[in-house]
Amino acid sequence: MNKIKSDAPESRNPVSIYFKRYWQLYLLLALPMLYLLIFKYIPMIYIQIAFKKYSIVESIWKQKLAGNHGFQYFIQAFSDSDFRRALRNTLVLNLLDLAIGFPIPIIFALLLNELCFKRFKKVVQTIAYMPHFLSWVIIYGLALQLFTPSTGLVNMVINNLGGESVPFLNDPGHWIWTYIFLGAWQSFGWNSIVYLAAIAGINNELYEAASVDGAGRLSKIWHITLPGIRSTIVLLLIMQIGNILGGTFDRPFALRNNLVISWAEVLPTYIYSHGIKGLQFSLTTAVGFFQSVVGVIFLLLANTISRKLGERGIW
Amino acid sequence: MKKRVVSLMLAAMMMVVAVGCGKGDKAGSAANGGGAAADASALGDDGKFAETHHITVEVYDRGNDGGSDPVNNKYTDYIKKGMLDKYNVEVEFVAVPRWTEVEQISNLLAANNAPDVCVTYDIATIETYGNMGGIVDMKDALETNKDILPNLWKHLGETNIYWDQHPDTKTIWDIEAVRENQNDVNTFIREDWLKKLGLEVPTTKEEFYNVLCAFRDNADKLLGADASKLIPYSISFDAGYRAKTLNYSFADPNMTDKEFYINSFDDRGFTIPGIKEGVKLLNKWYNEGLIWKDFALYGAGDKTEDDLIKAGYVGAFTHNWDYPFRDGENSIDTNIKKFGGEDAKFIAIDPFEDKNGTHTKWISGPVDRKIFFPSTNDDILASLLYLDWISTPENIEYLQIGDEGVTHEVGEGGEISIIAATGNDIQNSGMNIDYTITTNGLKLVDPALTEKSLAYSYAGIDPQLVGDADKIAKTDNRAAKSYHIGAIDAETGMGDPLNQKRDQILDQSIVAPVADFDKIFDQGMQEYLAAGGQAIIDERKAKWESIHGDKENLD
Repeated sequence: MNKIKSDAPESRNPVSIYFKRYWQLYLLLALPMLYLLIFKYIPMIYIQIAFKKYSIVESIWKQKLAGNHGFQYFIQAFSDSDFRRALRNTLVLNLLDLAIGFPIPIIFALLLNELCFKRFKKVVQTIAYMPHFLSWVIIYGLALQLFTPSTGLVNMVINNLGGESVPFLNDPGHWIWTYIFLGAWQSFGWNSIVYLAAIAGINNELYEAASVDGAGRLSKIWHITLPGIRSTIVLLLIMQIGNILGGTFDRPFALRNNLVISWAEVLPTYIYSHGIKGLQFSLTTAVGFFQSVVGVIFLLLANTISRKLGERGIW
Repeated sequence: MKKRVVSLMLAAMMMVVAVGCGKGDKAGSAANGGGAAADASALGDDGKFAETHHITVEVYDRGNDGGSDPVNNKYTDYIKKGMLDKYNVEVEFVAVPRWTEVEQISNLLAANNAPDVCVTYDIATIETYGNMGGIVDMKDALETNKDILPNLWKHLGETNIYWDQHPDTKTIWDIEAVRENQNDVNTFIREDWLKKLGLEVPTTKEEFYNVLCAFRDNADKLLGADASKLIPYSISFDAGYRAKTLNYSFADPNMTDKEFYINSFDDRGFTIPGIKEGVKLLNKWYNEGLIWKDFALYGAGDKTEDDLIKAGYVGAFTHNWDYPFRDGENSIDTNIKKFGGEDAKFIAIDPFEDKNGTHTKWISGPVDRKIFFPSTNDDILASLLYLDWISTPENIEYLQIGDEGVTHEVGEGGEISIIAATGNDIQNSGMNIDYTITTNGLKLVDPALTEKSLAYSYAGIDPQLVGDADKIAKTDNRAAKSYHIGAIDAETGMGDPLNQKRDQILDQSIVAPVADFDKIFDQGMQEYLAAGGQAIIDERKAKWESIHGDKENLD
């Protein structure tokens, strides 16, 4: 006992010095870690439902392995035309969102940044944030008031001008654009906050120096602002690419109807209707697992590419 | 020092979180218990429990305009008091939205959070959870306690108690409420519009079509400035139900029990031969501007279509046999007079003839909602006693007609007529059907009086209208039977996905261009069958043949 005491007194061990000094910070970190553990890591135990014959009453460890070495439900999913369609729709809608919904907040942030009148800028910003706080159910209600073929406001205007009603909501081809447009409208203001913050962090002296060199507005945007927020853009792009098979549930679920379902059923709604409503827990856990794996692959891929191109990436 | 305080507070918070998480397991362990045995000896000599028991009971929430809180109102107080006085059982109600009840009860069951006494119209949900071990087998508890459940046994009878019994295992996962009135759907038309245009009441499909065309072509005369809003015939996204008599008029009225059974997983008859012709007719009408253009855009429970009907823009529609009369002050019949003029009214008609020239209506058996106990129910006896109490004739009568002078009046011939109530006296569902879970339809203690009062049971509605609608709904009925075949494995979990698919195919077929109809319908049907419909039909056929042999019809 004595030997140990003399050999390793607390004060001489670098690890214990470190902890003695910083233990408060680790305690602060513990809470978010606990959150991750409880809500993100422990639930992962239940991924095995994807490989087992699920029963509501049996313990997860006692359930039998599903057929085909546990891959029965993956095979079932890929032979289900509903699933394949949901997979296609998820990809198409998310890619369109990426192509159209992603640049809009950047452009909006750049425009806001160029405004001279502070008060006007604040008003515009606030109005642009507002839709973010509306639930999708309410937005669908608004869309019905505006876009239904017979009583929608927009269609009534078109009719009065002598045109035919546009099937914004009831024809799949039109519906996709309504979906993308409403999504962009709902979120562009909110998503621009990150970019505005990044722009605010750019050193003002750069702009002054550029002015001295005779740079105009556009060349300042191109040569200073955009490079200044490039790492933010890349970061958000990587995150969104990682979510290519994910996405929210409430937006497609609230906006869809029976006529456009062939383009409106996406993986999250498929999981809901087949898993929770159809009680096929194993099947939809398999689908969810597949979604996550693809998401991780895309995330890693995008990260690697961005690092190859000289950006920092996520880590 | 300050840092230390903050850290300690955080640590304390974490403890709270950790403790909070520990509590979540309670429901899970209860599920494994599988429900306690029901032993009548737990009751004292006075028929009461010595200690107060507590059960939860599902009640539909219809979200009516001006309705009361479905879990706490005059009638729930009546039930709570009755149960407490008689059995020393505390009753707590759990509201489940009526129009999404199947999804909601699934969610509750999946979360081990369902009420002790559950009710649903969807047998597939019960069978699915039953197969997973999530539903209590009521057989022994019902039979051993028969003598303390006299009202339940008398009211439901062996027919409804054994209706869904499994033929091999003899388990009873659910018992069927009694449908006093088996009427299904009726078609209603604006009588004042017919008169205004000098038209006869249509009695055939051809005549009905001509009337709809006349409505469309005379919109200016009927609605004036609002002419563009006129809808000759309105349906909803659930076209299979909302054009049921039309669709079924193309089915063979002499269809065998076997064929009907095989195709009856879908209660809209989607796979019954001939139904396609009905949908095709709807498609033709849609393309001719006779059907509401926006019907598919509004989901379950949406009131937009009701509002259009009440506002007087709709010429005809098909719905529950008494739909325009329901809801007292808020009924279609009452509202249409406010907006469409004093003489505006909907009358029931019977225009869809089948190939025999009759108007066969395929109605359900004397069964209604299915009552079951989830395995989280740890008080089977108290739950059964609740069912007995709610099946007691006096209690049914009070819940249905309420207090004299408040919710009903007694007429000269002794007939009971329901009057509109307000505030706390209001009945959220017609005759409180949502509380009398073992009963659907007027059932007074005296059967003769019931008969006499039926037409008077809608507040503020002309009894003549109700009587006529009842007569039409009872014309050429063909009731479903109990086939005693038990659960079909292929149906597990398919109820909701297949119903959704059916609605999608029907809606897409109806709005298709006429030339594309066959392609879209046939392709949809193929998809429906491939997604599980065919497996269900095959299994139903095989099970029928193994149980009933080569019999085509049951007695």
